[in-house]
Amino acid sequence: MNNMKKQKFYFLLLGTIIALVSASCTKKDTTKVITPTVPPSNPIAPGNISGFVKGTLTSGNTYTITGDLTVKLGDTLASQQNVTVIVKNNAQINIQGVLLLVGTKDQPIYFNSDANKPGTWGGFQCDSAQSVTIKWTHIDNTGGPDPTGSPRKTLFVHAPINVDIEDSWITNGQDDIVRLEDDAKLTILRNTIQCSGSTDGEAINLKLGVTGDVAYNVVYSQAGTGVKLETSSTVPFPQTKVNVYNNTFVCNGWRRGAAEPGRGVSVGLNAVGNIYNNIMVDNYQGLEIFVDADTNNTKYGNNLFYASIDNFTDTTVTPNVSIPLRSNFYPGDGVGRPQSTDIISTAVGNNDPLFKTFDGKVSTPNGATTSNDYHLQASSPAFGKGNITYSTDLGAYTSDPSKSNQH
Amino acid sequence: MKPFFYTFLISLIAFSLNLSAQNIVKGSVTNKTTKEKLLSALVVLKNGNEKKMSATDANGNFVFENVVSGNYQLIVEYIGYDTIAKEIEVENNKENFFAIALTEKNNSLSDVNIFGKIDNGKEYSSRISEKNADNITNVISAEAIQRSPDINAANVLQRMSGITLQKNTGGDESYAIVRGLEPRYNNTLINGVQITSPDEKARSVPLDIIPSDILEKIEISKTLLPEMEGDAIGGTVNMIMKDAPDSTLFVVSAALGYSNIFFHRSFTDFSKSDIQQKSLNERFGSSYVAQPGDFSRTNMEFTDKDAPPNGTATITYGKRFLDNKLGILVADNFQNQYYADNSVFNQIVPDVRNSIPAISDVSNVLYSTQQLNNALTLHADYKINDRNKIIVNNVLIYSQLAQARLSIDTSIMGGNGGRTVPGTGPISTDYLSLTNHELLENLKVEGRHIISNHFYFDWAGIYSDATKRSPDRADISVNKKIDTVHTTGSINGPYTFRITPDYFDDVTRIWQHNDDKDNSALANLSYKNIIGSTLIDLKIGGLYRQKKRYNLQDEYDLRPTVDPLSGIKTVFTNIQDAQWIVYTAKGTYDYDVNDYHAFENVTAGFAQAKISFKKIDLFGGVRTEITDQGFTINTPYPGNVNGVDKNYTDVLPSILFNYKLNSKTNIRLSYFKSISRPNYYELVPNSLPSISSSNTTSGNPFLKHSIADNYDIRYELYPKGEEQLFIGAFYKKIQDPIETAYVGGSDIMPVNNGTATVYGAELVFTKYLGNFGITGNYTFLNSVIYSIKSYTDPLAGTTNTDRLEKRPMQGETNNTVNVSLLYRDRNKRFFAQLAYEYLGKTLSVIYPIYGDDFYQQPESFLSFSCEYALNKHFSVFGKFNNLLNTATYDKIHSLLVTKDVYYSNFLIGFRYVN
Repeated sequence: MNNMKKQKFYFLLLGTIIALVSASCTKKDTTKVITPTVPPSNPIAPGNISGFVKGTLTSGNTYTITGDLTVKLGDTLASQQNVTVIVKNNAQINIQGVLLLVGTKDQPIYFNSDANKPGTWGGFQCDSAQSVTIKWTHIDNTGGPDPTGSPRKTLFVHAPINVDIEDSWITNGQDDIVRLEDDAKLTILRNTIQCSGSTDGEAINLKLGVTGDVAYNVVYSQAGTGVKLETSSTVPFPQTKVNVYNNTFVCNGWRRGAAEPGRGVSVGLNAVGNIYNNIMVDNYQGLEIFVDADTNNTKYGNNLFYASIDNFTDTTVTPNVSIPLRSNFYPGDGVGRPQSTDIISTAVGNNDPLFKTFDGKVSTPNGATTSNDYHLQASSPAFGKGNITYSTDLGAYTSDPSKSNQH
Repeated sequence: MKPFFYTFLISLIAFSLNLSAQNIVKGSVTNKTTKEKLLSALVVLKNGNEKKMSATDANGNFVFENVVSGNYQLIVEYIGYDTIAKEIEVENNKENFFAIALTEKNNSLSDVNIFGKIDNGKEYSSRISEKNADNITNVISAEAIQRSPDINAANVLQRMSGITLQKNTGGDESYAIVRGLEPRYNNTLINGVQITSPDEKARSVPLDIIPSDILEKIEISKTLLPEMEGDAIGGTVNMIMKDAPDSTLFVVSAALGYSNIFFHRSFTDFSKSDIQQKSLNERFGSSYVAQPGDFSRTNMEFTDKDAPPNGTATITYGKRFLDNKLGILVADNFQNQYYADNSVFNQIVPDVRNSIPAISDVSNVLYSTQQLNNALTLHADYKINDRNKIIVNNVLIYSQLAQARLSIDTSIMGGNGGRTVPGTGPISTDYLSLTNHELLENLKVEGRHIISNHFYFDWAGIYSDATKRSPDRADISVNKKIDTVHTTGSINGPYTFRITPDYFDDVTRIWQHNDDKDNSALANLSYKNIIGSTLIDLKIGGLYRQKKRYNLQDEYDLRPTVDPLSGIKTVFTNIQDAQWIVYTAKGTYDYDVNDYHAFENVTAGFAQAKISFKKIDLFGGVRTEITDQGFTINTPYPGNVNGVDKNYTDVLPSILFNYKLNSKTNIRLSYFKSISRPNYYELVPNSLPSISSSNTTSGNPFLKHSIADNYDIRYELYPKGEEQLFIGAFYKKIQDPIETAYVGGSDIMPVNNGTATVYGAELVFTKYLGNFGITGNYTFLNSVIYSIKSYTDPLAGTTNTDRLEKRPMQGETNNTVNVSLLYRDRNKRFFAQLAYEYLGKTLSVIYPIYGDDFYQQPESFLSFSCEYALNKHFSVFGKFNNLLNTATYDKIHSLLVTKDVYYSNFLIGFRYVN
């Protein structure tokens, strides 16, 4: 042990000397680019907004949406970083044109209701939008009832457009969070979706020929399923074809009750999925490939399954029901089966992905707070086990900082 | 049940053999001077208040059967001739033959009052109506209706040539399909005028709420005259209510029956006592926040009981007052029925790997329905003089329906996991209770005036109002899941079942009401003259109708409470203990997408002419209809169309040609143009996505009305009396037919599918041999329509292309056969009818995948009815339906989609006639 310490000390000393010498001899170029200050297009004055709106929500301002807000075909609603939007009266934002929300890591954008309670505003209804881009944006407490009395999805798209959601946080919604349909091309990268769906709803629900990538996301405590892929019961083509890789799915699928367990990822109804490199911990059910999925073309492997307890005791049922977590990694009613490349825990402590912090609460209410951190400890078995088509590592937090979740 | 039935049958036959002597009265009617035989003269045989009517045939002969011996008055009337009234005596066992010679009225022909006297409500037989009609019609009379096994207008219609019925889920048949064309292509009239519909979305009136006992007759017009409303492509169904009799009429009938399905299962009932008739929003205002305790539970508590018997009663009273100037007829029919449907519904999904549809869910649905109908009709006519008459007809129908639906759905495949081994899978049990109150009021005031010998004027004002109120339609869906637990841990090893507790997703409570109001006015002026032996008949007229309709809906969504610690939703044990929160606490009243106001204003005018030669009738004319149709949603939904105002004008010619080969035979040729308007709600997009499926239903503002060219040919032979032989063929070309289609993958919307063609042939016959008769009809149909469907080519791989599919129109039944065997004894004390119906393959639902549609499988129905007169006043009757226990099956290819089992039912009663 002493020898080891000495060696380390010498290496450190040597390194310091080299660094000092280098620093004194060279100086890197520094370039400061000076750009003119470009004013935003059509800046929207801070304060109350509703009705037909286009233009830019400008940095540093707070806006209050007092009634349904509609962005017409050809118009754009843009937001600079560091904008706060408060929504009142269960209003929703209808996008027929372009939605472009671009926050930054240090100065994100915030959308929330005045009530600050789950299910209190209408979200982004982009059925017929031209394009949707959401980056570094917090979207909280969506899912109030729509004109038919049904809870609204946080982000709904029913059009063959590009949908780009990156680095954003969606918390405490109701029903489906991201629901995309009808040949939308999606890029859903590095987001955190948590504590959403009261007693129903999927985090990312993709139907009707949607294609693209869902990667490096964290989905925690969703009432239903983390990522659900389906095509349609009436129109089998074009198929929904999505790559779902390097996501971390934790504690999903509990609140809907035992009769409709949620999954980390499910593929059904003629959809095609490539499901690789995901970490699934304490979900009611893990990866489900339904019998009606396009099982010929759906591929999966290199997924890590872990349960932090042997059994979850459901105390809402009398007598209490004990649900064995590990037997639900690949649920028995599906046709998905463990792959040789999978990492599958066989006991508590075996193949634990070793999150930085994890409170071990399996089921918590919609809107609960959490301090879990899904970064991996250095000794996590998830490193180096990935399908290299996607990443060398598993989960949303990988060793490659250019791809890893930034939250 | 069966032994009872046979006993009944045998005793009826035994009764019938106990004949009493009754006689036949025959005669002839001729022109006194020319000795020419007079066709279609009205002959009345009168004995006190009792009256029989007939008309002379082509040889000028008439016949009355089953006449009790005694003294009678024989009255013969004919246009242009003096009426003769003759006292006669009918004797037993003797030929009673009376030759009547009429004298022409003593004025020159050109001055003859062509219109005769104002029609007094005389009942001509159906055959005479058909024969003398200007267009192609089929008529069924009160007598035939009374003796049929049918208790409502829908049942009656299904026995008529070219008619099939669209079934309600869990209920009786309700809407007429004429010549394979869906209800949207046909119009429904009461006393010749369009009636409003209590249905919240459809245009037509449900025929099952109109009792057959209040009907005088039903006329189906398969070709349109310019004087008729032009929005019928298949045909016009005209239900004519009973008219005031010439002498006092008092009829009471009552019957009891049972639906035999209740020998096999219970009737599911629920309490109606706690149902609030108005929604919370309507009671307390839009700011009221609903609380969990505001919603009753007893109407969601279902109990099984034995079904009570069905009952129906009719009372009819008619008399003429004030020296026969005022005629009154009041009829009221009351029906209380319990019926049920055991239904199987299999959800179908495309199985792409095998390129065939597959079953994803299996559902068993049990319907229990109680329907209470009361129909009150009032007819009054006042004959000011021989040239002027005012008629008032009022029809008031109240219908109350209470239905419990219990549905158990097991997923074979699908979003919540499917079935692995028999007995496993997610199981969803849905309980629904609904009550409907429908009220239909139809008032027609009309006048008929002979202005001069050649001019005739008639007018009518019509008020029609239909409302429906469906308070607190309550629906709860309870789920559980059955999985296998592999006891050895091996997926292929032994297993036991694990059943989860029950949970409920949500409870929906919907209060809905709608109103449909029409005000119409019409007036016609006719000119008739006889020049030489040629009859000229000219008519012009116009109609204006203003329609207003609204629908309002208020929905509340109750969701299960959650465990405060885990957030898991609470388990469902029973409805009394279920705990919920009110998710839509303010209801949807203020913004519901189903809240709408619609209007339709139709202005129409026509001119028509008929020239009638000895052998040939030529008929031609044109009608113009200007339509202004539209709709607004109460609360605009951003981004959607919120209203539509559509205007269109149609010029609709009609040409008919009738060659009177001889006095018994017509050969008719016709062409007419007609339209079909989109339904009120179909125009406005309402593309709110459904939460439960990936499909949305929306309207289509660009939907065009359908326009059809219709060609008909018919050979008609009227051998004698009620006998007939019709052979006909038709061809229709429908531009912009409206069908429901999937657009863009998931939107279900009405679209115009190019051009459709329909052709077919019809055969109708009635033949009597002594006491036995056979009547029947056969319809062959072939329709062709092209629509875009999704096509999968397994060889070319997973490609999806639009492909034009050639198929029949929705609702087309390729072959329909009705045959009835009739027996009536000579004195008419016993009558029996065995009715058989065959329906061939019917396209019931359009499925979006190429080559795959739902077809109702061929089916046969058998029913029996009989009537026995105990004495002059009392008779007993029985009606026995669906004796073969026929079930209805819908299939895609050989895959079962739906199955509905109703079992047989019967009704036994008596009738008193004064």
